[in-house]
Amino acid sequence: MATKTDFLAILQTMAGRGVDYIVVGGVAAVLQGAPVATFDLDLVHSREPENLNRLLAALDFLEARYRTPGAETARPTYSHLVSPGHQLLMTRWGPLDLLGTIGEAQGYSELLDRTVTLDAGQDLSVQVLDLSTLIQLKEQLAHDKDRAVLAILRRTLEEKGKGS
Amino acid sequence: MADKTESSPPLPALSAAYSEDGVDLTLIRWMLSLSPAERLEVLQNTVASILRLRGDQN
Repeated sequence: MATKTDFLAILQTMAGRGVDYIVVGGVAAVLQGAPVATFDLDLVHSREPENLNRLLAALDFLEARYRTPGAETARPTYSHLVSPGHQLLMTRWGPLDLLGTIGEAQGYSELLDRTVTLDAGQDLSVQVLDLSTLIQLKEQLAHDKDRAVLAILRRTLEEKGKGS
Repeated sequence: MADKTESSPPLPALSAAYSEDGVDLTLIRWMLSLSPAERLEVLQNTVASILRLRGDQN
């Protein structure tokens, strides 16, 4: 089980196995300059069959298990990952949420043209959901926790606009 | 030795640091001054330090 949270190591594992994914959620916000804290890494993965096989290999290396109560020893399978649902996992490098779709049933292929490519360090380029789309998704969700972050994301987008 | 009568330069109004909805703009500007890789490092260090404060072995 996780002894050290290392989002970069999880992303490197995915990249090293050729997994297609988009970084969303709090880490996506941080990569674009929003000062928010998050304890898990949210990824929307491609649900193409070849990608799911690569993803399963990466998850095996990461020793991924479900972190939902009562399922802590269960490993994610192909049938879980092909679904549009959310898989809440714990890995050797911390919590990882794999999301088949987000928002209004938007998956990897629908979101890909709303991403930016960023250098996450150590020669790793990642596809990250852009800040405007992150804000739109949080507005749709309208959970209390999302409303709290929305103001920070909106101001970050504003400040970025001033700088460009 | 510092002259106690010397006046300090005026600080900018604290309100300038916040947006009207209470967001700390100084943190946003600081984060925007970093590269994406540096921002990720800040996040990881933040998570690690909070977990250490909480007593987790991270």
